[in-house]
Amino acid sequence: MTASAAALLPLPVAIPLVVCAAMLATAHLLPGRLPDILATLAALAVAVLCAVIARHAAEHPLVYWFGGWEPHDGVHLGIGFSVDEASGWVAAFIGLLYAVTFVFAWGFFGRTHGHFHILMLLFLAAMVGFCFTRDMFNLFVWFEVMSVAAFALTAYHLEESALSGAINFTVINSLAGFLMLGGIGLIYARTGTLDFEGIAAAVARSGRDPVVAGAFCLVAAALMIKGAIVPFQFWLADAHAVAPSPVSVIFSGSMVSLGLFGLAKLSAVVFGGSDQLRHALPLLLTALGGGTALLGGWMALLQRHLKRMLAFSTISHAGIMLTGIGALSADGTGGMLVYLVGHGLVKGALFMVAGILLATRASIDEIALRGLGRGIGPAGIAMALAGLLLCGLPIGVLDQGTRLVQGALAQQGRGMALAAGAIGAALTGAAVLRAAGRIFLGLGPDPGDEAGAPSADEREKANRPLWLMLAPCCVLLALDVALPADLIEHAVPRAASAFLHRPAVAALAEGPAWLPWTSLTAALAGAGYGLFRRRLPALVVRPVSVTQSAPTRALEVLHSGLIGDYAAWLAVGVAVIAVVLGLA
Amino acid sequence: MSPRLRVALLALSGLALLPGAAAVIAGLPPFGATIAQYGERINAIAPDARHVANMVSAINFDLRGLDTLGEEFMLLAAITGTVVLLRGHRGEGNSGRAMRRAGRALIPRSEAVVLACRIAGPLTAVFGLYVVVHATVTPGGGFQGGVILASATLLIYLGEGYAGWRDAVRSHWLDALEGGGALLFALCGLGPMLMGAAFMQNVLPLGTFRDLFSGGLMLIENLGVALAVTGGFTQLFLEFMEETRATDEPEEPGEESA
Repeated sequence: MTASAAALLPLPVAIPLVVCAAMLATAHLLPGRLPDILATLAALAVAVLCAVIARHAAEHPLVYWFGGWEPHDGVHLGIGFSVDEASGWVAAFIGLLYAVTFVFAWGFFGRTHGHFHILMLLFLAAMVGFCFTRDMFNLFVWFEVMSVAAFALTAYHLEESALSGAINFTVINSLAGFLMLGGIGLIYARTGTLDFEGIAAAVARSGRDPVVAGAFCLVAAALMIKGAIVPFQFWLADAHAVAPSPVSVIFSGSMVSLGLFGLAKLSAVVFGGSDQLRHALPLLLTALGGGTALLGGWMALLQRHLKRMLAFSTISHAGIMLTGIGALSADGTGGMLVYLVGHGLVKGALFMVAGILLATRASIDEIALRGLGRGIGPAGIAMALAGLLLCGLPIGVLDQGTRLVQGALAQQGRGMALAAGAIGAALTGAAVLRAAGRIFLGLGPDPGDEAGAPSADEREKANRPLWLMLAPCCVLLALDVALPADLIEHAVPRAASAFLHRPAVAALAEGPAWLPWTSLTAALAGAGYGLFRRRLPALVVRPVSVTQSAPTRALEVLHSGLIGDYAAWLAVGVAVIAVVLGLA
Repeated sequence: MSPRLRVALLALSGLALLPGAAAVIAGLPPFGATIAQYGERINAIAPDARHVANMVSAINFDLRGLDTLGEEFMLLAAITGTVVLLRGHRGEGNSGRAMRRAGRALIPRSEAVVLACRIAGPLTAVFGLYVVVHATVTPGGGFQGGVILASATLLIYLGEGYAGWRDAVRSHWLDALEGGGALLFALCGLGPMLMGAAFMQNVLPLGTFRDLFSGGLMLIENLGVALAVTGGFTQLFLEFMEETRATDEPEEPGEESA
C-alpha cells in the first residue's frame, strides 16, 4: 500500500503544471469561467493528493526517485522527493488555501486569458515541490519558480505603487536567490552531493568546517529573506500592500511561512550534524525571531493602510515561528508547523476581509473607512474573530501552535523570546481589533480632514456578490477553529520527530495557559487605547505618547521604501548571521 | 537613510563578513582540483546506460530532468508575467494587430536587406532545428536551438517590416507553441508513469550511441523545450515591440505599412 502511495508523489507537482500549460496553449479558446473552474479543481486535487500522501507517510517517510535513478553505492545520481507526515500536511494545507483563494478571486481576473490562473498554478506547483524535495538544487529551482511567479503577481495592478512594491520585492528576492545559489555551490564543493541525506552524512563527518558554516549562512539568509525576518523584512510590507488581495492571501498565508519551513527542514535535516551550528542556532534564531515579532507588531500598530498593517502583522508572526524553530526541539518545530497552518488560515481570512473592503467600499484606509463597514456585518465579525485569534484567543489551530512554541521556549528558559512573541502577537491583535472596531462599529473619534487617505485611490473590482467573497473567508476561519484539537495533539509529536529525523517523542510540552490570555487582554487594551485615546485622562496618554514618539519615528524612517537601504540592511543581516556562526 | 550612511553600513557589514569569507575561501577545494565524484560517475555510466554522447543533455533531460522541468516552467512564468505586465496597460483587445504610433517615420527597407533576410532567415531556422535535434550528440539542445529558431522569426521582421512580421506571426499561435511545448515536456514525465515506470523514466528505445536517434525520451523532451522556448521568446519580442508602439492616448486605428 505504501509503495503505491509513494508513486503519487510527483502528481501534486505535475498536475498544476499540466493544467497551466494546457491553459496557456488554449488560452484564446477558453470560455470565460473555465480557467476559474480548472484552477480550483487542480488546487483541490493537489490538496486531496497531499492529504493522502501525508496519511501514508505517517509511519515512515515516502521516498520517490525521479527517472528511476535510485542511489547506487551511496551515490545519489538523480533527484528525489522525500515526504514526511508534516511536509505532506503542509502541502495539503497549501493546496486547500489555493482552492479557497481561487473561489475568492472568482471572475476577478476574467479579462486576462487565464494568465492569473497560470501564474498561480505555477506558484502552487513550486510550493508543493519546495515542501517535497530532498535535493538542494531542486529546492533552489522551486524557490526561484515561486519568486518569478510572485513578482509578476505583485505588479498585477500596474499602478505606480504596485510597480515600485514589485521592484523592491524582485530585487531583494533575487538577491536571496543569488545567496542561496552561492550557498548551494559551497556545500556542493565540500560534500560532492546535492541530496539532503548525502549532505547530512558529509556534514556530520566534517566536524568544524568554515565552508559548511558559510554555506548555511548564505542559504539561511536566503530563506530568512523569503520568511521576512528582521533585517530582511522590508520588501514584504511593500509587496503585500500592493498585490491584489487574492495574491496577498497566498503570500502571507503560505509563501512567507514556507521560507521558514525550508529553514526548519534544512537546519534540522541537512545541517543538523554540525555542532557549530547546533550551538549557534538557538541564540541566533530566537534573538532574530523575537526582534522580528516586536518590530512587526509595533509597525502594524502604526499603520492605517489595512493591507500594510496585515503585512507587518505577518512579519511579527513570522518572527514567532522563527523562535519556535530556534528551540531546535520537537516541541518547537512541531509548534512552528502547527502555527504555520493556523496563521495561514487566519491571515488568509484577514486579507480576504481587506479584499472585501476594497471591492465593496473602494478603500483600504482604516481612517477613511470609519463606520463604513456597517452594511457588511458578517465581514466585521470575521475580522474581529480573526483579530482575537491572532492575539491568542485560546481556541483553534493557531492557539495550539502558539502554546507548543511557548512550551518549547519556556522549557529551555528563553524568557525573552517568549515575552517577545507574546507581546508581538498582542500588538498585531491590537492593530487588527482597532481597525475592526473603527471600520465596522464606527468607534474612535471623527477623523474630519484626516479621513482623506494619504495614499493613492485604491479599489478592486466589485464584480462578485458579497457571499462569494465572504464564504471562503469563513471557511478558513471555521477550519482554524473547528479542526479537532486532539487529532493534532495526537499527530504532532510523531510528525515533528519524523520531520526532524529524530526518534519519536511521546508528548510535547505546552506553554503556561495564562500567557495567551495575557496577550489577549493586552491586545484589547491596546485596541481600546488606539480608539479612545482622546477620552482617556492625560495622566495615561502623555507618558505613552512621549515615550513612543521617538522610536516610532525612527522605525518609520527605516522603512523608507528605497531599495538601496533595503540592500544595505540585507548585507547587515548576512553579516550578523556570519558573525554569530563564526563565534560559536 | 542618506547615501553616505548607507555606504558606511554596507562597508561595515562587508568588513564583518571578511574573516568569514576568507575562512570559507581557504577551506574550499584548491583551483583545478579533481572533478567531483558525481561528474566522474556520470561520465562513466551515461554513454552505456543512455547511449548519449552529450553528457550535459543526459544530466539536463534524464538524470536531473525534474530540475529542467522546473526551469522550463520558470521560463514560462517569466514570460507569462512579462506579457501580463506589458499587455496590462494596452488591454487584451489590441493584441491581434500591429499597432502604429502616430508621427513615427516609416523607413522603407532597402532591397539588399530584404534579400539578405530572406536568405538568412530559412538558413537560421534550419540551423536552429539542427541544434535542437542533435541535442544528445553534440553540444546544444532545446533551449539553445529554441532561441536560434526565435531569432529566425526576427529576420522576418527585419526583412518584411513590422506589419509583415505580425501577419506571419499570430500571438495565440505563440501561446499555443509555448504552452504546448511545456505540456509536452510535462507529459514526458507523466507518460512513463502510465506504463508503471517512474516519473520521466526513459522508457523509449535508446537508439544508437552517437546517432541522431539516441537518448530515447530525451529527444521528445528536447522538442517540447524547443517549442516552448521558440514560442516564448517570440512572444516576448512581440510584446516589447507592441510596447514601443503604445500611445498614451487611445491608439489611432490603422496599420503600419512598412
